[in-house]
Amino acid sequence: MTIPDEFKTRLKIAKSKLKKELENDNEKQGSFMGNAFKLGTELVAAVAVGTIIGFILDSWFDTKPWLIIIFFFLGAAAGMLNVIRAANKMQKD
Amino acid sequence: MANNPMQQFTVHKIGPEINIAGVDLSFTNASLFMVISASLIILLLFVGSKEKKIIPSKIQLITEMFYTFVAKMISDTAGSKAKPYFPFIFSLFMFVLFCNMVGMLPYSFTVTSHIIVTLIMALFIFIAVTVIGFIKHGFKYLSIFVPSGVPAVLLPLITIIEIISYLSRPVSLSVRLFANMMAGHTMLKVFGGFVVSLGILGGWLPLSFSVALTGLEILVAFLQAYVFAILTCIYLNDALNLHH
Repeated sequence: MTIPDEFKTRLKIAKSKLKKELENDNEKQGSFMGNAFKLGTELVAAVAVGTIIGFILDSWFDTKPWLIIIFFFLGAAAGMLNVIRAANKMQKD
Repeated sequence: MANNPMQQFTVHKIGPEINIAGVDLSFTNASLFMVISASLIILLLFVGSKEKKIIPSKIQLITEMFYTFVAKMISDTAGSKAKPYFPFIFSLFMFVLFCNMVGMLPYSFTVTSHIIVTLIMALFIFIAVTVIGFIKHGFKYLSIFVPSGVPAVLLPLITIIEIISYLSRPVSLSVRLFANMMAGHTMLKVFGGFVVSLGILGGWLPLSFSVALTGLEILVAFLQAYVFAILTCIYLNDALNLHH
């Protein structure tokens, strides 16, 4: 069975319409709430990771308590960086 | 203790104890609910894709919705280069979603409320994304730790901060899902306990709260699965399209 020409053109039009729709469809509902849930842990996780790195390095180099203090603040800075990045991304969308 | 709100999170063995080379591999209620979620996904996708009708049945419609939802999410956040990773992200999203949703049923067990489960998934994603980045870009991938346009004096400091920020990804990814699920289920149980202890006279207020919270928890269950999947896409995007 061959596909009639008329059907082929109709398919073509439908496909191009679908493509255009996909390109135009940029609304991101629902992801706002997801973003809100995201920010809090982003800040905390970086502080925790920084502190853990400081703790491990401290026990390696025997420099208690200096590295844990330094890396706590570095972790806090990294957390803020994460939050700023996430917020920037939200604004762009 | 029926009133202990943390009781619902205990893992206990089902059936015989299996011990292989000193590692406890017994089948637990957590494994049971993972199997249930995985089989539900397979069943849904199998039934949904068996008949390909032009006017879809309800199950086919749901299956197609899941497919287009994830496909759209990937193309929106990570671009066309991430197409080959669709199966992985789709299974990840479906697994987290179904574990969360199955956990919402009474008398069930929420697998994702255990940090070990979420951490293993997050670490797998983290390591996979790092490996993909190194395969695609070689040692140039390390340039994500060195942002452009930073004065040379600040560069070592910024690099350390960037490395900490990179290492915090699996932690934030896993803690978010675990904390949301555990907090929600604990809260539901606490309000359930209030209903019992206040009895028929005062129990109506916590009961109505409980009903509202159940709705909220279903929303959270979906949102957390979505956030988990979309963050995977974002990390994948960073690894695939290096731009800094």
